[in-house]
Amino acid sequence: MARAETLIAPQTNLVERIKNFINAELINILAAILFLLLAVFLLYPIFAVLIKSIKGPQGFTLSYYIKFFIKGYYFRSLLNTLTLGFINTAVCLVVGFCMAYLTTRGPLALRKPFKIISMMPLIAPPYLFAISLIILFGHNGIMTKAFGIKWSLYGFTGVVVAQTLAFIPLAYLMIENTLKSLNPNLEESAYDLGASEVRIIRTITIPLLAPGILKAGLLVFVMTIAEFGNAAILGGRTPFLAPDTYMMIIGEADFEMGSVLSVVLIIPCIIIFFLHNYMLTGKKFTTIGGKPVASEPRKITPFVQIPFLLISCTAGLAIIISFAMVLAASFTKILGINNQIVLTHIKNFNSNLAILNSIKVSLVAALIGAIIGTLLAYVIVRGKFFGRSFIEMISLSGFALPGTVIGIGYLLAFNNPPIKLTGGIMILALNCVFRFLAVGVEAGISKLHQINIEIEEASSDLGANFMTTFYRIVLPLMFPAFIAGFIYTFMTTIVSLSAVVFLVSPGFELAAVRIFDAAVYGEIGIASATTMKLVVIVIICMVILNYITKKTGFDISPKKGV
Amino acid sequence: MAVHSSVPMLNLIEIHKFYDRLEVLKGVSMEVKKGELVTFVGPSGCGKTTLLRVIGGFTNLDSGEVILDGQKIHHLPPNLRDTRICFQNYALFPHMTVADNISYGLKIKKWKKAKIQERVEELLKLVQLEGLGGRMIDKLSGGQQQRVALARALSLEPKVLLLDEPLSNLDANLRLTMRGEIRKLQERLKITTIFVTHDQFEAMSISDRIVVMKEGGIQQVGSPIEIYERPTNEFIAGFVGFVNFLDGVVDRVDIGLNKATASTPIGIIQFLPERNISAGDKVKLVIRPETINISGSEPTGMNNTFQGEVEIGMYVGSLAKYTVMIKGEKFIIDQPNPRETFFKPREKVYLSIPENIHVLKRN
Repeated sequence: MARAETLIAPQTNLVERIKNFINAELINILAAILFLLLAVFLLYPIFAVLIKSIKGPQGFTLSYYIKFFIKGYYFRSLLNTLTLGFINTAVCLVVGFCMAYLTTRGPLALRKPFKIISMMPLIAPPYLFAISLIILFGHNGIMTKAFGIKWSLYGFTGVVVAQTLAFIPLAYLMIENTLKSLNPNLEESAYDLGASEVRIIRTITIPLLAPGILKAGLLVFVMTIAEFGNAAILGGRTPFLAPDTYMMIIGEADFEMGSVLSVVLIIPCIIIFFLHNYMLTGKKFTTIGGKPVASEPRKITPFVQIPFLLISCTAGLAIIISFAMVLAASFTKILGINNQIVLTHIKNFNSNLAILNSIKVSLVAALIGAIIGTLLAYVIVRGKFFGRSFIEMISLSGFALPGTVIGIGYLLAFNNPPIKLTGGIMILALNCVFRFLAVGVEAGISKLHQINIEIEEASSDLGANFMTTFYRIVLPLMFPAFIAGFIYTFMTTIVSLSAVVFLVSPGFELAAVRIFDAAVYGEIGIASATTMKLVVIVIICMVILNYITKKTGFDISPKKGV
Repeated sequence: MAVHSSVPMLNLIEIHKFYDRLEVLKGVSMEVKKGELVTFVGPSGCGKTTLLRVIGGFTNLDSGEVILDGQKIHHLPPNLRDTRICFQNYALFPHMTVADNISYGLKIKKWKKAKIQERVEELLKLVQLEGLGGRMIDKLSGGQQQRVALARALSLEPKVLLLDEPLSNLDANLRLTMRGEIRKLQERLKITTIFVTHDQFEAMSISDRIVVMKEGGIQQVGSPIEIYERPTNEFIAGFVGFVNFLDGVVDRVDIGLNKATASTPIGIIQFLPERNISAGDKVKLVIRPETINISGSEPTGMNNTFQGEVEIGMYVGSLAKYTVMIKGEKFIIDQPNPRETFFKPREKVYLSIPENIHVLKRN
């Protein structure tokens, strides 16, 4: 029968068939390769840390963990870290809410300046605040000497203050976002029905924003407990998990206890990551559509405005002073002791060399990160294979992983063959690539969701195969996301300290590590000058990012890297 | 039309509002009588919602006065005005139940618990939501949400109820039902209501009076019939339903015989003279499509009959819509109940234009 013949597949030779197979399965092959990369460079190092912490001379042992809980020092370190996390989160949320309320509901004249001030820490590496606190309140600090203040900066309070200032923008940004998304008609309705400002905040604004505020809180908490620089520079004799890990490895070469501390640190981070991503999604109140009319600024009652202003101004002033101090210290011999204006710190050869090295590493990381991020976004959105959401979860999990843990993990995983990377530039770049993937992937995903799949189908309908479609259609459309991922990875890598501090080799110093060493050894001028150089680089990146956002009309919300 | 007193409940006097340099309300003045339902209608950007928000206190006016029941209220915040607003998106508090939403204002006024419960029950019954007080907002349909929003706005018995495009989020059938219910409720409670809509037919069907707005100013205030039959300008004529305009010059006006004629591109047309029309005036004849008679043979006993050719004919069941050309002029005609007389393109037809058409002066 003629009909049966047409059903038989046309005979093709082997090469043709392989080619067809590859073309049809290309997206799955790509996904497999990407998953392999994630497994090797993200999961395997963490796994290596876990193994190290439970492997004794005679095989499996829990003795290191028992040591952790028996020895008061280690346990205090955990308690300190969690306490720091809670205090810091609470303060950041309160300050963030006050500032966000003023910039979204307050008098128009105040909105812009407050917004700029509250975002300022975003352009600085978190440890900028540790340096400025040393300048002001250190042993030879300006305030210490001028007023004889006997505040012992090195310890718990110093770390809390520095961390709070560093993470205000994160809380602010997220709360501002939720405040802006709240339909103004809801608050207006409450107002119309006779509610006072305080009552509106209590019964409408905060209950409705609760999921968003909780999310912001979780993020700040994770960032805080994982943050290395401030705690290491200002911690003094007070133990915190992240810097203690560093001491264990670099100071005492005790990899087992270092791994235990890492595992202890990573557990709350993973719990929070899941809470953040899965428990809170869907917990959003949907309201009916229709234009929410942007309201004119309501007159905020003094009962609310004055305390909000006080809190916001205090925080804002502290941020401005911090920047001013570090800027001033960059250009003076020893700020507060010898205020002679000099350029030696700025011109310092080692500082500039470190900056150059950092730029090199960051460029490599940015390029790899942007490519992997774009490809990951593509297979996550368009792929139909099993385990798609698992890949998505892993690629977004980087931000929740403490840098110190990744640092140790890379040290353990890539010090020996088959993959020996230690001592090279790649190990410095790769750990950042995989930790900071989230933003590039998210940008790619949101861009892809804007691109109708029919565009790709039209391309293949016109005869293009997968590669051609990807190359000619998908890549050009995703280019803004690629650039966003590139710049974001670049600017987070260049200020990143916590992981690379384990991985730098003697001959190749990075700016962040140079700053850390200088701050620890009291070379404040060098630390400040190098920090300011990083700030300038980050500002340039932000300007480019902002330009792209405006130009392409697509938003990537900057998150803070640790 | 509803019976209402002639006492003004709301007085708007010379209201001006600027956004930066853009004047969005250009000296609006009007009054709303007690118990009346007045609709603000106009194309988007005409200022109708802004005017509503000025009345409610959500937008400050730059000059002018808002007088509610004899008292100036334009300096007061919304919570101190005896007006309550129902937003387009309802703005129901999504984290509260229906009852919590409705009683929100009552709790602020510190009503007793038992009294609040009683009032909530009464309001639920009023909007036909008995037994749904414990529901969360997102478990309600669009129409039910609309009712909750109404009940909440009515809870404090405002002197004026402000409705901002209340039906725009409902599907077409529900919109008709809710339109009728809002009107019934309003007439029963005799509550003074201002209703903002961009839908002229909604405005026509629900209002005691309609305020047609354009570019921040009032074009005409009048009953639906006045607005439709006697629009004061071309914009209003075109805004409420379709209309054929025919330019002409008045030849003569005879008030005694109640007759006038005008020369138009299609010939002389007789019409009933209106107020200030005199010979020599340049005019625009306003001819509604449904008033034109269409037939296949020359009708007897009808003036203003012209022969034309069907260009497009569309059969829609209850009526047929035609485009007919007469001497290069295009006419749109609605023929009710066409049945077997449906005309096809290129057929010759006779159009009769009635004498009681509306006439506008041209500048």
